[in-house]
Amino acid sequence: MSTDLTDVRVEDHAGVRIVLLDRPAKRNALTPAMLATVADLVRTFAADQSAKALVLGGEGPVFCGGFDLKMCLSRPGTTAALLTGLAELIDLLDGCDKPVVIAAHGGAIAGGCALLGAADGVIGNQTGQYGYPVLKLGLSPAVSAPALAELIGWGAARRRLLDVGLIDGHEARRLGLLHQLMDWPEDVLPKAVRLAANLASKPPEGYAATKQLLRSLRGGGPNQAGGETTGAGARRRALAASLSTADSSEMHTRLSALFAPAASSSPPVTKDSAP
Amino acid sequence: MSELATLQINGTVARLTLNRPEQRNALSPDLLAALHSQIDLLRQKAVASEINVCVLTGAGRSFCAGMDLKAVLGNDALVEELLLSLAMFTHKLRTLPCITLAVANGAAIGGGCGLLTVCDMSITHADSKMGFPEVDLGVCPAVVAPWLVKKIGAGAARNMLLSGGLMSGHEAHARGIVCDVAPTLEEMHTQVNAMVERLAGASPAALKATKGLLNELDDSINEAVLRKAAALSAAVINSPATQGMLRKKMGM
Repeated sequence: MSTDLTDVRVEDHAGVRIVLLDRPAKRNALTPAMLATVADLVRTFAADQSAKALVLGGEGPVFCGGFDLKMCLSRPGTTAALLTGLAELIDLLDGCDKPVVIAAHGGAIAGGCALLGAADGVIGNQTGQYGYPVLKLGLSPAVSAPALAELIGWGAARRRLLDVGLIDGHEARRLGLLHQLMDWPEDVLPKAVRLAANLASKPPEGYAATKQLLRSLRGGGPNQAGGETTGAGARRRALAASLSTADSSEMHTRLSALFAPAASSSPPVTKDSAP
Repeated sequence: MSELATLQINGTVARLTLNRPEQRNALSPDLLAALHSQIDLLRQKAVASEINVCVLTGAGRSFCAGMDLKAVLGNDALVEELLLSLAMFTHKLRTLPCITLAVANGAAIGGGCGLLTVCDMSITHADSKMGFPEVDLGVCPAVVAPWLVKKIGAGAARNMLLSGGLMSGHEAHARGIVCDVAPTLEEMHTQVNAMVERLAGASPAALKATKGLLNELDDSINEAVLRKAAALSAAVINSPATQGMLRKKMGM
């Protein structure tokens, strides 16, 4: 299980496959290679009879701070690759018939927050920070919209995607972005593993059939534009909307401004990831 | 007489105010006509990326007391026109290519609560009153229904629209009608200022891409649904039973 893993770690714990983003010094900021690695691990998990449930978590203080913005700025094409990789990973996690739990301790920002909609259960903590502060970076978070709307409804999803402000664990729990709230960040992963083990103990046929049914029920019927609201077509259109903003000159200007000023005076950790 | 709807612009932030305080900003044909002309102007500026945020609020102590039927009741065609005007205004408000923030300074009733529901974000304070008392008056809240379903989901919207009555700002927050609730009016204005400052810095291109996608996927662009809703609402108001009831209520 340990070959060629880029900034990702894997553990097995009594039938629960635990995949951990492992780039703690960068708040687990996502690179295209990390997303591809996690996607491969999810495919392996889906086919592995011995793994009964999946937990996705992160090492260090925060589950995931979003995209690696320095890489987005310095290597053209990175942002588009990240958006495409993120959409693919959301689809893969969402398409698993076995239990999927996310341990979002400390925070899940932007691309990290986008993953939450793809899990059967999401656990966070009170002081964690959640949200999509990306409109000020010149980038659209539209890619998250279908899965987020599935999780918390269109009304709340609209507000969260258009507001660059972050919310704490309590508000995230109130909105349904988190299903369970822990007092302390270090309690989140153990709780997620216990939840995954519990879900894995249920008869798998019924669990899989229920997940498949829920997927087939989504969307609420066709909209005027001729597509469903949260299904595969909607996900493609959402990705396209985000891609239309990737690597624009405005994005580069705004990211440059983010990294340029006062680089000498104690740079906040958020500069390694979406602020 | 002052303008019934005022538009102030400060940097990338616009402020659209219902300005008929002596009638609690009730939506008369004239007020809606004023809102239409202001939002058409606003749309041009937002399309040109000059505006990022539009704050919608009411002058005086109320946000909006709902439809003002006094001038039109008894004239079927005028009732139909008024409801269609409301419906098309909600569509324009939803499809503005900037962030819309409803600041419910006071009561938001019926169609007024509907305007708040259409906005991308909304805030009020604990002492305000809001809700959809249409069914209590024999009226059908058809124009606001599609927006409420998108805002809080079909199950919750069904219960709310069929229950009628009003609720406090706190309850409106708990039920998802408003996104935020402040303990007092004063505190609400402080929160609004912080929110507007935060939103004003959004990238116009990214904002348009995001809002366009949301409006497409949740079917907000669907004008036909609203036209049908306006016709239904007008038909119920024009029925003899409802007319009699409304006349009695309004002391006509």
